[in-house]
Amino acid sequence: MEPIKVLLEDQEIPRQWYNIQADLPTPMRPPLHPATGEPVRPDDLAPIFPMNLIEQEVSTQRWIDIPEAVLEKYLLWRPSPLYRARNFEKLLDAPVKIFYKNEGVSPAGSHKPNTAVPQAYYNKAFGVERLSTETGAGQWGSALSMACQMFGLECRVFMVRVSYDQKPYRRMMMSVWGAECIPSPSDITEAGRNVLAEHPDSPGSLGIAISEAIEDAVTHPGSRYSLGSVLNHVLLHQTIIGLESQKQFAKIGLYPDVVLGCAGGGSNFAGVSLPYVRDRIHGKEVRIVGAEPTACPTLTRGPFAYDFGDLAKKTPLLPMYTLGHDYVPAPIHAGGLRYHGMAPIVSHLLKENLIEARAYHQLDTFQAGIMWARSEGFIPAPETNHVIAAVVDEARRAKEEGKERVILFNWSGHGLVDLASYEAYLTGKLIPHELPDEEIARALRAIEGFPKP
Amino acid sequence: MIDITRYDDREIRCPKLGNEVAFAYCRREGGELPCQRVIRCWEDFFPVESFLRDILSPEAWAAFQGQTPPDKLASLLDLAAKARKRRGG
Repeated sequence: MEPIKVLLEDQEIPRQWYNIQADLPTPMRPPLHPATGEPVRPDDLAPIFPMNLIEQEVSTQRWIDIPEAVLEKYLLWRPSPLYRARNFEKLLDAPVKIFYKNEGVSPAGSHKPNTAVPQAYYNKAFGVERLSTETGAGQWGSALSMACQMFGLECRVFMVRVSYDQKPYRRMMMSVWGAECIPSPSDITEAGRNVLAEHPDSPGSLGIAISEAIEDAVTHPGSRYSLGSVLNHVLLHQTIIGLESQKQFAKIGLYPDVVLGCAGGGSNFAGVSLPYVRDRIHGKEVRIVGAEPTACPTLTRGPFAYDFGDLAKKTPLLPMYTLGHDYVPAPIHAGGLRYHGMAPIVSHLLKENLIEARAYHQLDTFQAGIMWARSEGFIPAPETNHVIAAVVDEARRAKEEGKERVILFNWSGHGLVDLASYEAYLTGKLIPHELPDEEIARALRAIEGFPKP
Repeated sequence: MIDITRYDDREIRCPKLGNEVAFAYCRREGGELPCQRVIRCWEDFFPVESFLRDILSPEAWAAFQGQTPPDKLASLLDLAAKARKRRGG
C-alpha cells in the first residue's frame, strides 16, 4: 500500500510565521495616505486595527513568533495533511507527483481561519471587545465569526445583500458561532442608509459592505475592523501553510519543482508559496505560479485553421483554433494578478519576476474541479478549481516535455457550501457566446493565404 | 433604442463575492458604473465591451475605463475619514 498522506505531529507545528518583506530584493513602496500624500504611519491606522497587528503589517522582521494561544487553536485542525493525489495523477497520465495541502479540514472549511484566529487573538490581547468586517459569500465572515467566539469577542459581519439572500448556509454558520450577520446595505450605518435612500432595492456590493464595516468599527468604542485578505499581516499568518509543507516534504525527502495557488486576493496563494519564494530568492530552482480567473476568449472560439502560434511568427504553421496570431487582448482584459483587490506583496513579486501568473477560464476550472472530485473524492471550492486547472496544465506541459515534476498546490477549501455553482456548470448555464461576425472576419483576414487543414 | 436590460438575467460566478450573480448586478456594482471586472468576467459570454460602450454615456465610459484601484490601506483610511465625517466625529 502506497502512502497518501504526510502528517506532522502536533508538536511539529511551526512556531513562527515567515515574513517575506525581510527577503525582498527590492523593498515595497509604502502606501500613501490619501489626505496627505505622505507614507502611511502606524498611528494613522490605529483607529482601524490594533497596534500589535499594525506592527506586523509594517514589520520587516523575518520570523515572527506565533503566540501559544494561537497555536492551541491552530491545533484543532493543524498541521493540515499534505496529500499525494495519486488518483488524479493516474487520470492525468503524466510524469508528475502531485501533492496538495488540504486546507478544507479547518472548521470553517477553508484556509481563512489561519488569519482569523490570530487576528481575533491580537485584538483581544490589545483590549478590543468587538470586530466588524465585510464578506461576500461568507467564507471570511464565517471564519472570523468562529475565531471571535474562540477569544470571546463580539463580531458583526456585513454581508453583501445579494450573497446574503443567495448563500444562507454560511450566514447560518456565522449565527452558530455567535456573530451578528447583517445584510448590506443596512440601515444601521450612515453609509448603508445613504445607499438605501437612493436605491432601496440595492443588492449591495463589497465596496458598500466595507464602508459599513469601517464605519461600524471607527464609530464604536472598543471596536476594530478586520480584513481577511490582501494586507501584509494576513499573508504573514497564512505562511503556516507553506512552512508546514516544507517540513512535510523534508520527511519524505522531496522538494517541489513548482508551487501553485489560486490568486483571488492573494492570501491562500501567498500562504503556500511565500516560504518557497524565499528559497527561490536564495537560489533554489522552484517555480511559483498563481492561477486567477479570466474570461479571455479561448482559441477554441475562432476558426480551425493553420496559423502561427505566436505574435512574432516564429513557430511553424500549426493547425489550431485561432483568433489570428495578431490577436492581443486589450489591457483591460489582461489583469495578470494586477487587478483591483490583489495583495501588494503578490503584485510586487510578479513585478520582480519571482512568481508567474496564469489565467484560467471558469469553464476549464469547473471541468478540472469535476475531474478532481471524481478521482480524489473531495469536492473543491470553486476558487480552488482555478489552481486545479493550473495543475492539469502543469501536468500536460510535463508530459509534452517528457520531464518529471513534483507539484505542490494549495487545496484552499471544500465546495460543500458552493454546490449551486456546480449545478450552474453541470446544467449548462455557463455557456460561452459565439464570437461576433466582425471578430471572426478579422481572424480570417489574419490567416488569409495560409494553407487550410 | 438599446435595451439595457437585454443581458440582465444571465448568470455568472462572481470572483469577488464567491457566488452566482446576474449581469444586472455587474452592470451597476460600482453604483452608477459597472464593476471594474465586468469585461474580464463576461467577454466570453456576450460582446460585453461593445454593449457597455453602447449603454454608457461617453463620460461614464471614460470614468469606467479610467478607474484605478487604490491601495487597500489608503482606501481603508479614506473610508474611515469619511465615516467619521458622516457621523460628525
